[in-house]
Amino acid sequence: MRSRDILFRPILDENPITLQILGICSALAITNSVLSALIMSLALTAVLVFSNTAVSLIRHHLPSSVRLIVQVTFVASAVIVVDEILRAYAPEVSRTLTVYVGLIVTNCIVLARAETFAMNNSVGRSILDALGNGLGYSIILVIVSVIRELFGTGSVLGIKVLPLATDGGWFQPPALMLLPASAFFIIAAIIWSIRSWNGSQIEETEFRPLDLYEEDR
Amino acid sequence: MTNDSPVKAVSVTLVVALVCSIMVSTTHVLLEPVQQAYEQLDRNRHIVLAAGLAEPGDNLSDRAIVAGFTELQPVVVDLQAARSSDDMDSATFDQRAAAQDPELSVEIPREKDLAGLGRRSRFAPAYFYIRADRIERIVLPIHGKGMWSMIYGYLALGPDLNTITAVTFHEQGETPGVGDRFLDPAWRAQWNGKALYDESGTFRFGITAAQLDDVRERHEVDAITGATVTSDSLENLVRYWVGDHGFGPYLEYLRETNRQPDTAL
Repeated sequence: MRSRDILFRPILDENPITLQILGICSALAITNSVLSALIMSLALTAVLVFSNTAVSLIRHHLPSSVRLIVQVTFVASAVIVVDEILRAYAPEVSRTLTVYVGLIVTNCIVLARAETFAMNNSVGRSILDALGNGLGYSIILVIVSVIRELFGTGSVLGIKVLPLATDGGWFQPPALMLLPASAFFIIAAIIWSIRSWNGSQIEETEFRPLDLYEEDR
Repeated sequence: MTNDSPVKAVSVTLVVALVCSIMVSTTHVLLEPVQQAYEQLDRNRHIVLAAGLAEPGDNLSDRAIVAGFTELQPVVVDLQAARSSDDMDSATFDQRAAAQDPELSVEIPREKDLAGLGRRSRFAPAYFYIRADRIERIVLPIHGKGMWSMIYGYLALGPDLNTITAVTFHEQGETPGVGDRFLDPAWRAQWNGKALYDESGTFRFGITAAQLDDVRERHEVDAITGATVTSDSLENLVRYWVGDHGFGPYLEYLRETNRQPDTAL
């Protein structure tokens, strides 16, 4: 695979959220404001780059019996470092993200890239892969959060776009948009639109119910 | 050495653990002062808000917080002696650290420990806002056990040292979306104007679901639906901190000295 593909394929063709359905937990939880989504994207990308680099660096010396625990150690350490930095330099955002920064440890995208890509590829390619997947994750988070913040509060990044009914405007924000459930619908809609445009992403049905009445027909 | 040998597995894990722990601890040590400075600033922001020197909706800049804070007169109160203490420097006194220090703390008798603290520091900070030689506001730090976590906040009293003028909370870990609704500015606004004690000196402040009547009008705020334990804890920690084991004697002393800060402080 060419390096350009490594960087850009995860944005649409192999998006970690919409194709692999990974990292959904944080995508649902913190996308009610664009700022949180941006910071979360940066945090995840930083962790991804670090863990991919570290795993790729020692991939030839990593006994397969302990590889998962070593990968998790890298991921967990990077997450603590990122969390500490956020708490020092972006304390308000860190407060709104609460546990979700810590939960990057369990974000499947990070471990999936370390295990499937960084274990078998050079450092340079692994960094590109990390950036690409970080970008793919970020784009979905930003799209979802723009929709949710705009229709949930009438503003984007705190800037008023739709005049609220409570301030004498016409826009009555649906409260659903601020609840995590709305992200479910929005992400589903994004997945549906991507797959209707690119049919190759549609998965085969894994389970078909038995047609009990087949013989009668 | 092959990758499959147990020696290699152990040594690789050890090296990785060592490198990662150095990385994590270095970051923590380097960033801790920055984080603490922020926490201090955040506490001061709550004190300034509680003292009424800024509107709750205001997006306070760091500079405005510092400016507001310098208008306040901080003291360290010796709770048992009911006097402000000159032994402690209000700028460096750390109530939480003091509560851990056997020299600086006392055990709270079980029947008096409404806030679930176990021990408390013998000293506590208080912040006066003084205008024309009169106490306009006094801001008291309060804390106590909620349902899951220690809740930290500031309670501001008006010139009569009995009427609540504001309450803020800056640290808590109650159930998100349920117990933590006590952070809601609209709910906290109910506290304003409620009197802690009635004319006979009986403690009346309450967080209840009682019918609206005279007592409720003057002393009580609504309990939070679905967060009974948190609501009760908040009431109890207020009761403790303004009571006779908390700031009670000091507030009494301030009232007796005719609210003249020159003699009081």
